Amino acid sequence: MLKRTLVANRGEIACRILRACSEAGIEGVAIHAENDSGTMFTELADIAIQLEGEGLAETYLNQKQILDIAIENGCDSIHPGFGFLSERADFAQAVMDAGLIWIGPSPDAITKMGDKMTARITMKEAGVPVIPGEEIDGGLEEVLAIAPSVGYPLLLKATAGGGGKGMRAVHREEDLESEAKGAMREALNAFGDDRIYIERLLTGSRHIEIQVLADNHGRTIHLGERECSVQRRHQKVFEESPSVALDSELRNAMGKAACDAARAVDYVGAGTVEFLVTPKGEFFFLEMNTRIQVEHPVTEMVTGVDLVREQLRIAGGKPMSCGDLNMRGHAIEVRLYAEDPANNFLPSIGPLKRFIAPTGPGVRLDTGVREGDSVTPDYDPMLAKLIVWAPSRIEALQRMSRALDEFVVLGCTTNIRFLRELCDHPDVIDGWTTTDMIERLWPDGWSPDMPSIVNNAGLLIAAACESTNHGRILASSGNESLRPSTFETISRRFP
Amino acid sequence: MEFKTSDSRYEIEPNRDGSSFVHDGIIVHAGGEIWLEIDGRKHKATATKVGDVWWVHVLGHTLQYEIIEAGATGSNEDNGLTAPMPGKILDVLVSQGQSVSQGDALMVMEAMKMEHKIIANCDGVVESIHFNTGDQVQQGAELLSIVENE
Repeated sequence: MLKRTLVANRGEIACRILRACSEAGIEGVAIHAENDSGTMFTELADIAIQLEGEGLAETYLNQKQILDIAIENGCDSIHPGFGFLSERADFAQAVMDAGLIWIGPSPDAITKMGDKMTARITMKEAGVPVIPGEEIDGGLEEVLAIAPSVGYPLLLKATAGGGGKGMRAVHREEDLESEAKGAMREALNAFGDDRIYIERLLTGSRHIEIQVLADNHGRTIHLGERECSVQRRHQKVFEESPSVALDSELRNAMGKAACDAARAVDYVGAGTVEFLVTPKGEFFFLEMNTRIQVEHPVTEMVTGVDLVREQLRIAGGKPMSCGDLNMRGHAIEVRLYAEDPANNFLPSIGPLKRFIAPTGPGVRLDTGVREGDSVTPDYDPMLAKLIVWAPSRIEALQRMSRALDEFVVLGCTTNIRFLRELCDHPDVIDGWTTTDMIERLWPDGWSPDMPSIVNNAGLLIAAACESTNHGRILASSGNESLRPSTFETISRRFP
Repeated sequence: MEFKTSDSRYEIEPNRDGSSFVHDGIIVHAGGEIWLEIDGRKHKATATKVGDVWWVHVLGHTLQYEIIEAGATGSNEDNGLTAPMPGKILDVLVSQGQSVSQGDALMVMEAMKMEHKIIANCDGVVESIHFNTGDQVQQGAELLSIVENE
């Protein structure tokens, strides 16, 4: 049984884990860089410790400092979340060597799956189908030499990678050298490792992943699939479960392959096996993410399993608590990014002057920010995840549309309207989601479909607000004389 | 009253009655909470001012209107070679005086761990380069200039 867990992460996922700790009766310790002081996750922790230094390498990626803090504060375990140190086998090993529990799979499993070349070889041996491609063990010369044998279009990927960083699609031979240089540079910056590999880009395919859970008592199960095909810049924006592309036969086959993949590396904890599924219904192993994943809530909504609680339970040495699974209804997650979809999805920054989240039946918001926070260029632009559950897929889409219409974020440009239009798109409604769909549907970039009445209304509201100095009293409510007296509001609070 | 958006300018002089405003058949009530009324149907709106920009959420859309003060002049149109986001210059791929073609990559910049290329928007000659590798730039900063070929 865990007693005190250090969460080696920030933002939305740190909030998610700290809440699970709180529910499980485990004390949560947050670590944060100076520029994250006072943010939401630091407040959800029982103890919040400020990291010394600046920049990711000195703070959230600083293994020694984080481990020292865990030991000094009497932690018995470390949860890495996703990104940052979550797939660093050396950190997992250091945590274990210090006598602490690593909430995740063994360093050996992380190494085998984290290095994409080793993973391919391991999966081939375990009988799990892999994409045709080539591993590169060298520099730029090898990339240029091997590319012709793989064929175009091709995909360059960081060997140590994930999250779209260091990943490039190359459609023409003349672009290969500059794209390879860029991919290697990005890989070096993001992961400290510039190795890349080449694989054939399977266009028109779906990205479908299987959630697995394994404990130390001999049980490895899968919790169905997540369809994550809608991506921009190879980062997912819209995820759902179940997938319209899978029938029970294909689901069982992929579920079995995922469990085989997990068993091949003696996997323990929560993990995700990603597959590409071609229009013909063939599936190929892409990679295994040896950590909790951004889109885990959709699986939680349809299975009723609390994946983060299970991680904590399994790490504490107990068997997983879920019995036979019974999938219900349909869940969709969209990722709220601080970015401008009308400007090629480039990151945006600004103050969250208003942040009013949707509520109501079947709506869940996993957020790392709230009103009054600022979005800075220091970290990943994902602010929050909006998840809905409904009895059927079409009702889930309708619920998501309603929730996105209610979602107010003012002061920093977000992708809310883009997500809202996605929900209305016939291809999404019909379930024709593919990894290239955003480029396919909006080849010249996206811009909002805005009826003139909306612009006219917005303009009139701006004029009315400017004329009445809207919000000015609220903004200066620190001034005692402007606050309404308690006696004026008492009847409202106690009707 | 004059407002500017990313692609247009607007002048609007609504009829005001107390805290209610009317224009083109649309009514806005701005006393306390903001309500929009179109064809007798009411819609809640939210607005806040950041700097000179009114951010408005209405009918599921988020819009921005920058107030233009009377007498102020608009800025010159830039030629597209400005930083589309705040970030760091990773690489300068051209030098002063170099001839470039439309579509050529000129600079590589990075923000939030993602790379972005600055692309030539015309055929021409690089007139000046304002930043070096490693420099931090603000959104909208002019990165370099090109003299277009006649």
